[in-house]
Amino acid sequence: MSEPAAPAEPTASQPDSTRAGPGRLLVAIYALFALSASARAGVQIATKFGHAPVAYLLSAFAGVVYILATVTLAIGSPTARRIAVLSCSVELAGVLAVGTWSLADPATFPDATVWSSYGSGYGFVPLVLPVFGLLWLRRWTRRANTRRGQSTEDVVADGRT
Amino acid sequence: MSRVNGAVSTTIIIAGLALAGYALLMTARNRRMSVPLLAAVGVLEILLLVQVGVIVARLAGGERPAGLATLIGYLIAMPFIPVAAAFWGLVERSRWGPAVIAAAGLVAAVLMVRLHQIWPVIHV
Repeated sequence: MSEPAAPAEPTASQPDSTRAGPGRLLVAIYALFALSASARAGVQIATKFGHAPVAYLLSAFAGVVYILATVTLAIGSPTARRIAVLSCSVELAGVLAVGTWSLADPATFPDATVWSSYGSGYGFVPLVLPVFGLLWLRRWTRRANTRRGQSTEDVVADGRT
Repeated sequence: MSRVNGAVSTTIIIAGLALAGYALLMTARNRRMSVPLLAAVGVLEILLLVQVGVIVARLAGGERPAGLATLIGYLIAMPFIPVAAAFWGLVERSRWGPAVIAAAGLVAAVLMVRLHQIWPVIHV
């Protein structure tokens, strides 16, 4: 095989943005979910809203959260990273809450959402994705803190996330 | 007819999984995007376009699935997956470029199963 080898891992290939390195894959998968969740919700709300209003509104909400996470991870500025942390957290809380809700009260969900049964219809990717997103963002927050020489205010602000 | 589109779906599933395996191997071996990998993405793109053609032919023949809007959404989105993945993977200068391609291969395979769920006349 003749593929060019990537530069040695630790030194040269240190990603310079949240969208580079492993973030490239993360943004790609987020974009896919942003597209599929919002398109699906759009079709459902337009064609048969009365059938399962709660499920469809939650699908739409999930779509918005995925779009927000995709865009902010792709931008990667300090402000964008804060919004990304927030969207990944909402997403994780959402998949856990809706997952539990859909199992406890199936009558409310005659039609599935992305987050039903903890995302089992999507291979549990919706459950795993925010975890990787938050881990990836935490790495950036830490790096930014050490670079800034540990500004106390930011450590406190970021530590909470 | 059904045997034909069944063969297309099956080919796409096998090609998608093979592409994902090859690309993941490249990620594991710390390789960047390469010409052979791009060629494989091109093959997947052609297969998906063939599938779109087969389905459009059925729709033109007057058959309709229950979820027509969803199916049309899939038909529009499907051909963009390899293109978007190739672009996004090429921008990346590390092992994570092929990882994006691997995701696209898996998505192509999953889409075939979804198509069958949306419209059972599309066999897998």
